[in-house]
Amino acid sequence: MARIGVFVCHCGENISRTVDTAAVAQALGEMPGVAHSTDYKYMCSDPGQSLIQAAIAEQKLDGVVVAACSPHMHEKTFRRAAANAGLNPFLCEMANIREQCSWIHDDREAATAKAIDLVRMIVEKVKHNQPLQPIHIPVTRRALVIGGGIAGIQAALDIADGGCEVVLVEKEPSIGGHMSQLSETFPTLDCSQCILTPRMVEVYQHPRIKLLSYSEVESLEGFIGNFKVTIRQKARFVDESKCNGCGDCTKKCPQKKIPSEFDAGLGTRTAIFVPFPQAVPNIPVIDRANCLLFKGRAKGKKKDVCGICARTCTRGAIDYDQEDRLVTEEVGAIVVATGYQLYTIGKIQPKEYLRGYGEYGYGEIPDVIDGLQFERLASASGPTAGEIRRPSDGKVPKTVVFLQCIGSRDPAKGIEYCSKICCMYVAKHTMLYQHKVHDGQAVVFFMDVRAGGKGYDEFTRRAMNEGALYLRGRVSKMYRDGEVIKVVGYDTLSGEQIVLDADMVVLATAMMPQLGIESLAQTLSVSYDQYGFINEAHPKLRPVETNTAGVFVAGACQAPRDIPDSVAMASAAASKILSLFSNAELSREPMVAHVNPATCTGCFHCERVCHFGAIQRKEVRDRQGNLIKVIAEVNEGVCQGCGTCQATCPSKSIELAGFTDAQVFSAINAIFA
Amino acid sequence: MQELQELAKKLLSEGRVQVVIGYEAGAHGVRPAFVTDAADCGRLIFDPRCVHNLAVYLSPRRSPVKRLGKPAVVVKGCDAKAVAGLLRESQIKRDDVVLIGVRCSGVLADPRSGATLTGETVADKCILCDLHEPTLVDHLVGELRPPLPDMPRVSRRDLMLERISAMSPAERWAFWQAEFSRCTRCYACRQTCPLCFCEQCVADKSQPQWLETSPHPRGNLAWHVIRAMHLAGRCVDCGECERACPAEIPLGLLYRKVAQIVEARFKHRPTEDPEVPSPIGKYSLDDEQEFIL
Repeated sequence: MARIGVFVCHCGENISRTVDTAAVAQALGEMPGVAHSTDYKYMCSDPGQSLIQAAIAEQKLDGVVVAACSPHMHEKTFRRAAANAGLNPFLCEMANIREQCSWIHDDREAATAKAIDLVRMIVEKVKHNQPLQPIHIPVTRRALVIGGGIAGIQAALDIADGGCEVVLVEKEPSIGGHMSQLSETFPTLDCSQCILTPRMVEVYQHPRIKLLSYSEVESLEGFIGNFKVTIRQKARFVDESKCNGCGDCTKKCPQKKIPSEFDAGLGTRTAIFVPFPQAVPNIPVIDRANCLLFKGRAKGKKKDVCGICARTCTRGAIDYDQEDRLVTEEVGAIVVATGYQLYTIGKIQPKEYLRGYGEYGYGEIPDVIDGLQFERLASASGPTAGEIRRPSDGKVPKTVVFLQCIGSRDPAKGIEYCSKICCMYVAKHTMLYQHKVHDGQAVVFFMDVRAGGKGYDEFTRRAMNEGALYLRGRVSKMYRDGEVIKVVGYDTLSGEQIVLDADMVVLATAMMPQLGIESLAQTLSVSYDQYGFINEAHPKLRPVETNTAGVFVAGACQAPRDIPDSVAMASAAASKILSLFSNAELSREPMVAHVNPATCTGCFHCERVCHFGAIQRKEVRDRQGNLIKVIAEVNEGVCQGCGTCQATCPSKSIELAGFTDAQVFSAINAIFA
Repeated sequence: MQELQELAKKLLSEGRVQVVIGYEAGAHGVRPAFVTDAADCGRLIFDPRCVHNLAVYLSPRRSPVKRLGKPAVVVKGCDAKAVAGLLRESQIKRDDVVLIGVRCSGVLADPRSGATLTGETVADKCILCDLHEPTLVDHLVGELRPPLPDMPRVSRRDLMLERISAMSPAERWAFWQAEFSRCTRCYACRQTCPLCFCEQCVADKSQPQWLETSPHPRGNLAWHVIRAMHLAGRCVDCGECERACPAEIPLGLLYRKVAQIVEARFKHRPTEDPEVPSPIGKYSLDDEQEFIL
């Protein structure tokens, strides 16, 4: 006969208010196989746990059921307590009589009866529990960081400084991300590139960081501690080992009028180019779509039409026949830090649910620009060398209107969330503008000023004090009228309609995850929300982990983030990874599926339904080596214990440890008995 | 007929297969034949009495057949779908079997009757047939006869299902209870099914026991519902289970209903393509989940 101990918790009054806990303890005490049954005010408290541990020793219990809250809350607590008393922790289970009973019922009598049933179910289950041992898996102490913006840079440096190797993959020709495009940063107005570029160089020179720029993650296999990632190194057409970054090729390139991505379309670049002077690595890339030679080849011309860059290069680094290369890296953990892009107000949108802004002319008015374009105008390294000049005619604008919440907080335009950084950078923009154009007037249309953060509210107030005119309301219409832009809005504080003649309008457009984030998330098997932001494992307690063990998240690919947030997340992810790497092996809960090799028929329904790719094929051979059959096998490192295979298996040959058919059957039978 | 016999002879004499599994005339109509000698190929026939789904002999669990060596098997369209099922679920490899497809214009509902094939005598599955010429095969023999002039437009089972769905739940329950009460749990339905290939059937599992094994209405219902679920989207409607049932339970009716549900919900119909997984063995992020509240 089993000797099971039942411990009914009052949870202060959370349970005992609706459930007669003493009656539950008494009813269970009379159940066959229950050797000890008691109730207590707070089982999770130190005395409560001691109660359990004492009973395990005195009553020689071989199973424990704690009737309390959700196992999500305290299963670990009670299993640890049981383990400390010498009982295998997996012989301890919880019956949830709080969330699933006391919190949702009013009728005390009925709730008590239900609580008794719930506990009886778990008691019957525990009778069939088996002692389980944690699984140990080896760890490759090497990390992959996807994205070379400030979050990726910070994560890579922290992990590398912690003594582990890092592979940093960046999609663009240079690391630096959006931060490298910014002029100054809030709330201190220090120069963005001045603080960023030393970090970029540090990455490049770090002995433990392998930088793969102009590369993308192609596929991923494996599991926590043992990932194998395939990375596509896109063809640069420049041999990295030969190029010394002299820049002669870019000067001679005849294609000079290509809009520069780095300057947000306000400046130009050549077809062979380095995105910006401080780029890391300082190695050019040939833009195939705009290069005369490749255009000629695409048209099928036999003789190459250009080739000036190759002739100019004294080191013979230009290689027009270079092809994409696939490299494989083995890593133990992954940081996703792919950053953001901005909402575009145009008619054509990247996602179906986005609407664009017809009332602002769908982005057709040349002097209506977005925040990143303003950053380039204000930046000393930008197309105007830091002078604020409007794109259409190069004149210095005397009235600049800033509009907040463009796309953000606007369900009608497809995005409900707040982009978080716009209030701050608009305040910064008004200051940068008025510092550079002394007789200029900055006008801001805002919904709310959200400036939570150290020194943030002081910063927005400073912007207002320095002369920026803040109007609370939205702009309903914008159109060109000669040289000016008519801005029609409404000031909700004075209750007046306002029509302004603006020389330039800057839109604080919403922050959205990078295009292609969904396919990357699917490659990595991490979940994402309706907008494509990567989901964290727990919004409060596990903010930098994802649902897939070993994959972490940092920066604006998880939600709108400013630089301090992104850096903090990156360092948090790095410290998580370093703690993961601090052991040669990692141990995990043994709730994984097991295949019965005797009855497995090898139909592989399980393989097809497993979302995690945990099912492998295993050959069964006799002693002579003849193949008898091929059956399914579970990779314990990959299995997440979801149980889908168990439900699917027609011959019932897969069972999840801790949730075997015998256990679940007994629990169900307990309520019908 | 001659074409089939000559092909079988060629396959056997060239040593490409060791056994040809086909049909021969027997004491009570037609029966499966296992021809291992090229000289015996004259026994092989194919006519509307050849209802049996010979794909059942390809299951790796049929060791007496397996011992005969590499087989060639005669398949109609519905049988070819069952072979595709075995390929899809990794029970056989395509190179381990030679498939002799036969063009089939329909088979008899009652093969013992020896009646001529008419709209009256044709098997119900043939009214629904969408595959008269199997394409998964290595060889294709026989001739396609013109469609029966009096072929019913609607399947007899579909008409019956309409009547059943018009019943009240209590009537429906009574109808199936009456049918299942005759079940003796002989498991002929399972043994004759080419896709019931589990090494250990859930019905035989005792630790824990999933269903009562004695022929009791409760266990009978559980058995037939479990089997219907396991065949959902997999059943090729060869009709062998119903033909094998000594208690004459209209199993085809039950599986037809499940097939209708699967087709409506998952846009899936079992085909000859081994690459298309059945919904029971498939997971997709786009799966409908409106039932999750």
